Amino acid sequence: MNQNEQELLKDLRALADADPREAPAAVRERSLVEFRRRSAQQRRMAWLPAAGVGAIAAATLIFFLVPKQVPTHGTDAPTAISNAAIQPSSANADETDGGFYPLPEAEGLPPIETATVIRVQMPVESLQLMGVAVSDAGSAEPVQADILLGQDGLARGVRLVQ
Amino acid sequence: MLESPSHSEDDELLRLISAGNEGAFLAFYNRHHGPVYRFALQMSGKTEIAEEVTQDVFLAVMRSARYDRNRGSVPAFLYGIARNLVLRCLDRERPYLTLLDDPESEYTGRIADPRDLEHELSRNERIETLRKAVLALPPAYREVVVLCDLHEMDYLAAAGVIGCAVGTIRSRLHRARALLMEKMRASERCAV
Repeated sequence: MNQNEQELLKDLRALADADPREAPAAVRERSLVEFRRRSAQQRRMAWLPAAGVGAIAAATLIFFLVPKQVPTHGTDAPTAISNAAIQPSSANADETDGGFYPLPEAEGLPPIETATVIRVQMPVESLQLMGVAVSDAGSAEPVQADILLGQDGLARGVRLVQ
Repeated sequence: MLESPSHSEDDELLRLISAGNEGAFLAFYNRHHGPVYRFALQMSGKTEIAEEVTQDVFLAVMRSARYDRNRGSVPAFLYGIARNLVLRCLDRERPYLTLLDDPESEYTGRIADPRDLEHELSRNERIETLRKAVLALPPAYREVVVLCDLHEMDYLAAAGVIGCAVGTIRSRLHRARALLMEKMRASERCAV
């Protein structure tokens, strides 16, 4: 290292010593204010992902658990179906409007104001117990059926899908 | 150079800061703000930039998940953030900066003025001349002088801050010192 460089390094050290060692106090205050503001913002934002996940989970749950209301008689809106409507009109035709067989235990229930249909799988013999005529009575395979529910959630009728 | 408190203390403070702990933020700020401010000031030559950068560095610490201990110490991490912020400010203000090579600059004018010759030779004037010469260096040379000569950082740590090889630091520092000596000689010739 030559003399010029040594002189330069000495001057650089003097320059380093001459510079302030600390930032003005105002910087600390401003930083603190901004820190508080951002912390509060972060706390608020921390709820958003959890709330979003919760909302999605709730929507999914509702979609799968709440039975869909399907129109009967080909209308879009749920239709009021009276108990009388699902009573068999003839001995040979236990099937009612909409294809639902009335359930024996539905007798005496209040008339249907809002009908809800849920689709389920059930054993063939259960259908037979409900009074539904099934051609393949010996089958062990479950069959798809629609259950007609009233506004009180109680089953009024059953319809074979398959 | 930044002091090197234990990693675990800094790690704990960073963890608390990211959780919004004000006391931890103040402790961390008090521990590290001086060198960060000086670095920004020496790189930019402007107190307003140094203050803005210092504040932004410590607010960036709130997102301390970005800190990777394997890439260097916490001080080096802070210098790295400060460096990026300073360079961004310098880019933003480039048209307004006074440079040594600018014939209209305050620095050149003062050296060329024969009335100031005696003062230029004084110690304080020499230091100020050197300060302006450092500020007039291209940023790539200026930052190695600031880190290695003014903050006494070793080459390896400086390479970590800048993100280059140790050899690059060595060669840039050599070149930067040569430029500074050249400028200082030029100023002395003007003084004579």
